[in-house]
Amino acid sequence: MSAEVINLSQLQNDHGDFVERVRKMSGQDVRKCYQCGKCSAGCPVHNCEGMDVSPNRIMRMVQMGMEEDVLRTKTIWICVLCSTCTARCPRDIDIARVMDALRIMSFERKITEPAKTANIFHEMFMNNIKKYGRMYEFGFAVGYTMKTGYMLNLLDVGPATLLKGNLAFFPPHMKNSSQIREIAENVEKIERMEGEH
Amino acid sequence: MKYAYYPGCSLHSTAKGFDMSVKDVCKKLDIELWEVPDWACCGASSAHSFGHLLGLAVPAKTLVPAEKEGLDIVAPCAACWQRLVWVNHEVNSNPKMKEKINKAIGAELNGTSNVLSVMEAIAAAGEEKISQAVKKPLKGLKVAAYYGCYYVKPPKIAHVDDPERPHMIDDLMAAVGAEPVDWPYKTECCGASLNFVDFNTTLAMSKKVVDIAVKSGADIIVTACPICQMNLDMLQAKMNKKFGTNFNIPVCYFTQLMAVAMGSSPADVGMNKNYVPFESTLAKSG
Repeated sequence: MSAEVINLSQLQNDHGDFVERVRKMSGQDVRKCYQCGKCSAGCPVHNCEGMDVSPNRIMRMVQMGMEEDVLRTKTIWICVLCSTCTARCPRDIDIARVMDALRIMSFERKITEPAKTANIFHEMFMNNIKKYGRMYEFGFAVGYTMKTGYMLNLLDVGPATLLKGNLAFFPPHMKNSSQIREIAENVEKIERMEGEH
Repeated sequence: MKYAYYPGCSLHSTAKGFDMSVKDVCKKLDIELWEVPDWACCGASSAHSFGHLLGLAVPAKTLVPAEKEGLDIVAPCAACWQRLVWVNHEVNSNPKMKEKINKAIGAELNGTSNVLSVMEAIAAAGEEKISQAVKKPLKGLKVAAYYGCYYVKPPKIAHVDDPERPHMIDDLMAAVGAEPVDWPYKTECCGASLNFVDFNTTLAMSKKVVDIAVKSGADIIVTACPICQMNLDMLQAKMNKKFGTNFNIPVCYFTQLMAVAMGSSPADVGMNKNYVPFESTLAKSG
């Protein structure tokens, strides 16, 4: 039995639309990737088995126009943006930027199932700073744990953390606490107007 | 020398010791810090994952007062620092993005204030000034300087130092009498905020870093990033439980060790807020 032969050039021509949208969103041309695998070899998350698909395979999936599959990987959300891949890429692709762009695309499509906690984390983080202007870490920790059960992992260090005064119990106090909310609203307006043009 | 100062959320909460020690060391080196009035969160590690413009506009506002005062700005938190560097990079290289950022923040930003990491600001004081300020050199203390990712990667944006073999913190540690160890994991990622999304992966990532530091003969690990400090320090007990290791290596901010070498007591610079006890390690030096 022989493996299926893929004509990559043909495939890229047929599915050029996705790679082009990724380029617009990230400023990176994923077509340049020649699969050396350096990104995956150095990826600390991949090396600790945190990803479902290795970074170099994500690049190939983008080249092949596998939009539905790539936006449903855990990898794009679990990437911690350390940019080791970017620093080492011989084709000068900012791979971490591509991951961030794929997140934005996946978020816009409301695809949340591959990385539920990551989605909840980012959404709650933004809501927190929109409300307080600065991160209210204690409030976040409690809210996030109630929603995901996640920080129960860290419950045993909780008392020490509070005792050492490493978590402020009360929300941060500033004069204009709504400034991030206002900026976010302006950004939405700007992006809406751009979409209309 | 006078700089604008952007502590960021962590330095007012989980990383108070960083704030205390940065201020202490700067005072001893006659570096004046002017805190940006009513600063807001930089948005890391979330805003940029909702859109490139949002990721830039949220931290951009912080730079406006610094620019008006004509001051370069120091941001000790690695994540804040990189977000501010991104803003400057885009404002200076992309006129369209500059216009959008300014529209979003309702202010004029021109990207004229340099964004400095705290090691750059301290190193700029000069070797002579630093060695004059040292009262108790940290003789015999073997230090693993851990840089993490954000200061050196991606190298086109974040280039405080070499992305694979940085030495700026090592040099500062040598300047206060300590002995920096050469080790290969200076810029390997600790897992950062993945801690709150995938705990087991973060634990495995941080464990590798601590493990190599210990095997390289270090007595203590120093960092310049609140989340690196938290992961490597707070999670050691968890590592020991999960991996059967026996780690007990203190992890502090490099500025805390500098402050101690310059005569401050560890408590004055928040070292008692760290998790792994440091007392016996510090007693070894001198």
